[in-house]
This record gives sequence, structure tokens and C-alpha cells, in this order.
Amino acid sequence: MNGVYLPSQFGILFLPLAAVQVKPGDRLRVTCRYSHIGKGETVTLYAAIGNSGWAGFDEILHGSKSISVPEDTSWQYREDYVDISITSAISAGIYDLYAKIDGAIPEVISPTLHDVVEVLAEIPESEFGEISITSYAKV
Amino acid sequence: MAQHADIVEIVAPREAMAGDRVDITVRIKNLYPATIGIMVGGAQEYGVAPWPGIEFPTNWANVLGGVTQSFSGYFTMPYRAVKIHAYSYYYAEGTWHFDDEMIRTIDLAAVPESELSSIEIISYARR
Repeated sequence: MNGVYLPSQFGILFLPLAAVQVKPGDRLRVTCRYSHIGKGETVTLYAAIGNSGWAGFDEILHGSKSISVPEDTSWQYREDYVDISITSAISAGIYDLYAKIDGAIPEVISPTLHDVVEVLAEIPESEFGEISITSYAKV
Repeated sequence: MAQHADIVEIVAPREAMAGDRVDITVRIKNLYPATIGIMVGGAQEYGVAPWPGIEFPTNWANVLGGVTQSFSGYFTMPYRAVKIHAYSYYYAEGTWHFDDEMIRTIDLAAVPESELSSIEIISYARR
């Protein structure tokens, strides 16, 4: 089961992550926690939906945004989010999710969460096929 | 020149980052041939008045003649270089007498280049 380990007053807490259902037109908000030290800088937070396999992560949809990380004189944990727009470019199915900070060669990359995004089939536009009289009566 | 409580050394880092705890040790030698009470004190000089102090959890001891005693202290590094003043006192005739002073400068360390060490997804939700 996928999940994250979070510090709590009772020690380390394992928070299981269940699959989320999305469909075209939705946005998936991915919230990340990262650790930082040093001067402030602007970096790119990036997240992608796709399939993880032996050759790497085959991305289908992704989202990214710039985030300003403030100066930290000691290691600090920080949180931010990025949205992925769900489009018809992805077909119905179960997908994996990962996030990273910066570029093709990322500074840091998250563990992949497997089978956590379920894309539902797009509901087709309204359409009528045929019509027939099923009864008639005096009213 | 100290009469009895000679400050031999201040052990401290050459530089520290603003906001960090700075640990120091003040080593004081008892020049008197017998045991006497020796006390340490300290202050930070960096442009504010009054000078903030330096915390010494144990700030005095009975020290044998000729022996050097170490006193551990700490303070929070300010946002500029700081001169730390260490003071020594000895106990005689029912009171503490100021005896010696030593000064040491601690520079402000530059903030290191930005570094990220880990990232993890902690939640995801449909919007």
C-alpha cells in the first residue's frame, strides 16, 4: 500500500494514500514536502501522472509551477503544491504519480506512488438515437 | 594581567550562521597556590546596548591552586559579527572580585548555496 511517513507526537505516523478518481476537465492537486538549506532561490515544482516501468516513468500528463524557496540557515521542511490538468490525452485506467524539483536532471525526485490515480472514462456528449411511440391513450 | 583567575583561552568557532547556537568554553587558571572560588561571565558586543549576556549553566567552581577550569557557555549568533567578552572573578573576603578579561571575535558565516535534499508527495486530491 502506498503512503507517507509523517512525524507526530506519537512518533512516526504512516498515512496510507488511497486512489483518487479523476476525469477529463478535473485538476489533480499534488502536495509535496521537501527539505532545503541555504540561500533562497526560485525552482520548478513538477508532478506527473503516467506509468512507472523498468525503463523509467512514462509520463502522460504533467503540471509544473515556479516556487520561491526562502533562505534557510538550517535544514527546513517546506510544503507546496502543483496542479495537473486532466485532459482527454489520458485514457481511462489506473496510473502512477511522482514529483520532482527542477529540470530534466532533477535536483530531487520523489518516490513513485503506484496505482494512486484512477482516470474515469469521459462521459460522451448528449446524443439521441431514435424515438418511437410506446403508447397512446385518452387523457 | 590577572591576579588569581587568569583567562587562558576562549574556545569558540571562527564563524557561525545567524540564529545558530554558538557553544563556547572559557578556560580559567587559578594562579593562587590554594583552592579559591572562580566565577566566569560573558557578554556579546555587536552594536546593541546593553550588551547581551552569555549563558553559563555552571558559572563558578572551587578550583585547586594551579589548576585550569573549563566553563561551558552558549549564546545565539546575531545577524552580524560579534565580539565575545569573557570575564573572570575570584572569591575573597566575602565577595566576588573582577580579575581578567579576554575578547574574541566570531564572524558571521555566509549562508550556503541553496540545496534540496528530498521531496515526497504527501497528498493528492481532485480539484
